Amino acid sequence: MGPTPNPSSLEASLRDVVGADQVLTRPEELFVYEVDGLTHHSARPRAVVLPATTEEVARVVKVCRRHEVPFVPRGAGTGLSGGALALGRGVIIECARMNSILQIEPEDRYAVVQPGVVNTDLSKAVLHHGLFYAPDPSSQLVCTLGGNVAENSGGPHTLKYGTTTDHVLALELVLPDGSVVRLGSPSGWPAGYDLVGAVVGSEGTLGVVTEATVRLSPIPERTETLLGIFPDVVSACRAVGAIIRSGLVPAAMEIVDRRTIEAVEASVYAAGLPTDAGAVLIMELDGAAVAVGAQAERTRALSLAEGARDVQVARDEQERQRFWRARKGAFGAMGRLAPDLYVNDAVVPRRKLPEILEAVCAIGDRLGLRLSNVFHAGDGNLHPNISFDRRDADELARVLQAGEEILRLCVEAGGVISGEHGIGTEKREYMGLLFSDDDLEAMKKLRAAFDPTLACNPGKLFPTTRICFEANPKARGYDQVPFE
Amino acid sequence: MSVLAALARELGEAQVGSTPARDSSSELDGSVRPRTGEELATALGVVAAARASVVVRGGGSWDGLGHPMPRARILLETAGLQSVPERGDPEIDSEDGVAHLPAGASVSWISERVRKETGGTWELPFDPVAPTATLGGCLATASPGFCFGHPRDVVLGLETVLATGVRVRCGGRVVKNVTGYDLAKLYLGSLGTLGVIEAAWIRLLPTPEKTACWWVPAADPSQAVEPARRSSARAAAWLSAGLARELEAPRAGMFLELAGDAPAVKADGDWLARQHAAEKLDPAGLDRVREMRARNPGLRVRVSARPSALTRVAAGLSAPGTEILAQPARGLLWALSQDEAVLAAVERSGESYLVEAAPQAVREARELFGESQALRPLQAALKAQYDPTGVLNPGRFAGRI
Repeated sequence: MGPTPNPSSLEASLRDVVGADQVLTRPEELFVYEVDGLTHHSARPRAVVLPATTEEVARVVKVCRRHEVPFVPRGAGTGLSGGALALGRGVIIECARMNSILQIEPEDRYAVVQPGVVNTDLSKAVLHHGLFYAPDPSSQLVCTLGGNVAENSGGPHTLKYGTTTDHVLALELVLPDGSVVRLGSPSGWPAGYDLVGAVVGSEGTLGVVTEATVRLSPIPERTETLLGIFPDVVSACRAVGAIIRSGLVPAAMEIVDRRTIEAVEASVYAAGLPTDAGAVLIMELDGAAVAVGAQAERTRALSLAEGARDVQVARDEQERQRFWRARKGAFGAMGRLAPDLYVNDAVVPRRKLPEILEAVCAIGDRLGLRLSNVFHAGDGNLHPNISFDRRDADELARVLQAGEEILRLCVEAGGVISGEHGIGTEKREYMGLLFSDDDLEAMKKLRAAFDPTLACNPGKLFPTTRICFEANPKARGYDQVPFE
Repeated sequence: MSVLAALARELGEAQVGSTPARDSSSELDGSVRPRTGEELATALGVVAAARASVVVRGGGSWDGLGHPMPRARILLETAGLQSVPERGDPEIDSEDGVAHLPAGASVSWISERVRKETGGTWELPFDPVAPTATLGGCLATASPGFCFGHPRDVVLGLETVLATGVRVRCGGRVVKNVTGYDLAKLYLGSLGTLGVIEAAWIRLLPTPEKTACWWVPAADPSQAVEPARRSSARAAAWLSAGLARELEAPRAGMFLELAGDAPAVKADGDWLARQHAAEKLDPAGLDRVREMRARNPGLRVRVSARPSALTRVAAGLSAPGTEILAQPARGLLWALSQDEAVLAAVERSGESYLVEAAPQAVREARELFGESQALRPLQAALKAQYDPTGVLNPGRFAGRI
């Protein structure tokens, strides 16, 4: 990039596009945009701009390009990998004002939404058509669909319904040069390259999504929710393996371990779970009314055979919600334990879950950390949660060490370093655990085709030697990172 | 030294054919048939260094797809790729329901192996139009079968070789993964223009407990959408009257395969009989439908449209001698015709389309990929990044890139 342009000129140009009240530049305004859900990484943006239309987004992007300032799209900021940080004193394009559901087509089962629509609001809006939007990240009450597209978000029901990429049919995208393209179609079978598939999960590095056409799914005729109570997390993992091996495809299989149960039961999310259980396994089956009952019975029998001391079947919706409360309230309950929570995210082959879980817990114990597990067991998607206080430098260092050891463990087991949170700034240095330089160069070719000047959300996904946060885990100086 | 001579030196005489060959549109000087990813990488490295080009072919069932490639002089046959990186033998993990499979293996061979090695618990989720189809060909064309959806739904990871001869991979063996860009999506359906697939990690699907085939009378594709959306409906093909007669049905209607738990299959069958006067069919009908799908009367065009628009699109295409086959719930329709007027009708529909088969003159003269022109610069930029010198199927894809 060239010399630093006159800041007032950039800000004035942005105000010309969206109006003075939609450009934030004061320190106290920018402070809240320094982090996303990964609180120990931060970077202060140069400005935050809140466009209301695609045209405004395009003009904002062109202003940024003219001033040679990087830009970063941002949804609700609930991401857990630092993906929404504005490195290089960039401009954050906050999509909160673009929050309309533009079109609902129940007959063809799709909806067209702006990026700022909250995930769960879409399902609410189509409920009366007997439809729902399937991807259900844990943050679905607040996270936005634009962010979900950027991160290819998953959730508990990914096991049966897939991740966001399986539900996006078309996108309107403002490219990093400010031009606007429409990718895909509501019918979902493009004739050319699958550009929608390439953009979903690209962590906001290929452009700014300003509209998404998403698939709607029919609400199943019947749902059965089971709560398996296990003596330990290993036997719960074995039950997951047995169910997968049998060819059953539950909608969800989630494990909550003893430490999480204790935290939940001591919180406002208390669900009446037995605190002497080693783990609980929430299993949900849905589908044709005539088939689900038998599937639930098979699932129950397999759980008991693998050591469950009890398997309860929800008798009504209220009890189903109670079972889920323990899972969905887990992260909130962790807030009672410590001021910070580090949610790791990795995936292993499902048959490796028992041994990996034991090893993960051993890492936490060895490093003296408060590590608990609540995770998408059916997908092999681990979420070791570490409660900590980032003001304690030593504890933070141990947290980061544990995170790295867990990732290495999962990769050695044939797994990967992210199942749904993305790479962002958090894991970019670990991409080399999985991918060769050639693999990464192949990914950079995609980036180069969309964004040859690397102006859109720079500093994410790819390893860089310019930052060494591993050497200095207390470092918060991402705003010192030069724009690539 | 000629390219073929250089290939023979690097890979051995047995892997190189110097007899002039011909694909559906090109005169070719010879062929190369690598057996491993290493050999594939070596071959492409040699070709790239010579600034030559290849036509990539799997089982050959989609040779006529895409624009002619007059620049290419060498046939790259991928059917010899019978091993996967590192392990060698294909890996079928029945505990996890995933498999690591070589691109050159035929789908029918893999399907049988999956069935045997998993005791029938799992099945390979591909049902190609031709029994000779290779896995790599199915992935490179991303062609929809009947029983299963888009290959993108089941591909977990890919090993590919780029035009420069560099071996790369994306994704992996796990069923959930957002580690890095999802390049597999880009390679799928790219007709081998961005890279040559060496092997793939595939998510297997549970073998259904029960299947049953039905004939559902439906005058137009839109009438067939509701039954095609029944929870156990797996393969659905609405057939216009001429095709329906081949299944001994008097009028247009839908061939529907139900698959799943026995109670659901029975309940849906009862519902079809009650609500739609459906009649049970011999399962062999599915093979007949596959054969219709692969048929090439001169022109075969795939149109992608919203389910509610299929009837309009079909009506616009109807003409003497033109038959229609549709997958109503997936919003897909094929026009089978000898009449080139069907091409103009497809364009008028305003929907996305792909001319899957056409005479040489049409393939040379017309754009075969019916989609927004606004995407051409982006697609050309991708081709330029992944294959800057045009080694892989040059000119075959949309916009002749």
